[in-house]
Amino acid sequence: MTARRLTIAWAWLLGLSLASTAVAALIESGAGTTAAGAAILGVALVKARLILLDYLGLAQAPSWRGGFVVSLGVFTALLAGLYLVPAFL
Amino acid sequence: MTAEARTPLEELPGEVMMWVLIVSELLVFGAGLAAFLGVRIADPAGFAAAQDTLHRTAAGVNTLVLVTSGYLAARATLWAGDLRHGRSALALVTAAALGVAFVVLKALEFRDLAMQGIGTETHAFYTFYFLLTGFHAAHVVAGVLILLLVAVWNSHRNVEVAGSFWHMVDLVWVLLFPVIYLLR
Repeated sequence: MTARRLTIAWAWLLGLSLASTAVAALIESGAGTTAAGAAILGVALVKARLILLDYLGLAQAPSWRGGFVVSLGVFTALLAGLYLVPAFL
Repeated sequence: MTAEARTPLEELPGEVMMWVLIVSELLVFGAGLAAFLGVRIADPAGFAAAQDTLHRTAAGVNTLVLVTSGYLAARATLWAGDLRHGRSALALVTAAALGVAFVVLKALEFRDLAMQGIGTETHAFYTFYFLLTGFHAAHVVAGVLILLLVAVWNSHRNVEVAGSFWHMVDLVWVLLFPVIYLLR
């Protein structure tokens, strides 16, 4: 892992954290709750992937990174499914 | 040893046992978050009303604090690997200070809820909220102590293992924050 890559990951994490909080503010004002909620979970997935690959260094562990990232994606999809259930009831 | 000769276990950064801990913790928090959203299905309006009593902005600030702290811990690992132990220790102490800031903000939120008479029994939302964020805050406290220990006994191996723990705490928070504080 290089210092430059870590700094880029950090900048993305800051930007995405601000973006998800901004989307939450839109939700509070009543804008597209369900779509915005799904977007928030998508942003969380990207942030978690950055931490796994860059902070934790899995980018340099090819035997593991795919499994971790796919598991994370499946888990986020599960959360999204549970979140969306009330919208269809 | 060349990169091609590494076994899968040797590819993992840091210690294998730390990865066992990381996966275990992710499973525990993951189950908690899934249960939270599962219980929410029966009362989405109640969960939204309860969520409105939380400090979203403070939690957002805490996210920035924690990812910045994680960045410093990762840089500390690089510096320790380059034998720049003074810089590494300084980054670790700063990362630990940010961890303390996180806990203080969290404690203020708990205090405000308590002053409103809100506790774990008030609503199912708060049961999960106090359990998940409280358990996470306990990990932050443990992480701060570990960061300070490896700032003193600074070696590449020590800092890498401590950093892995800290990044796990960071990873849990970036999943916990949107589910508890933002989803409506």
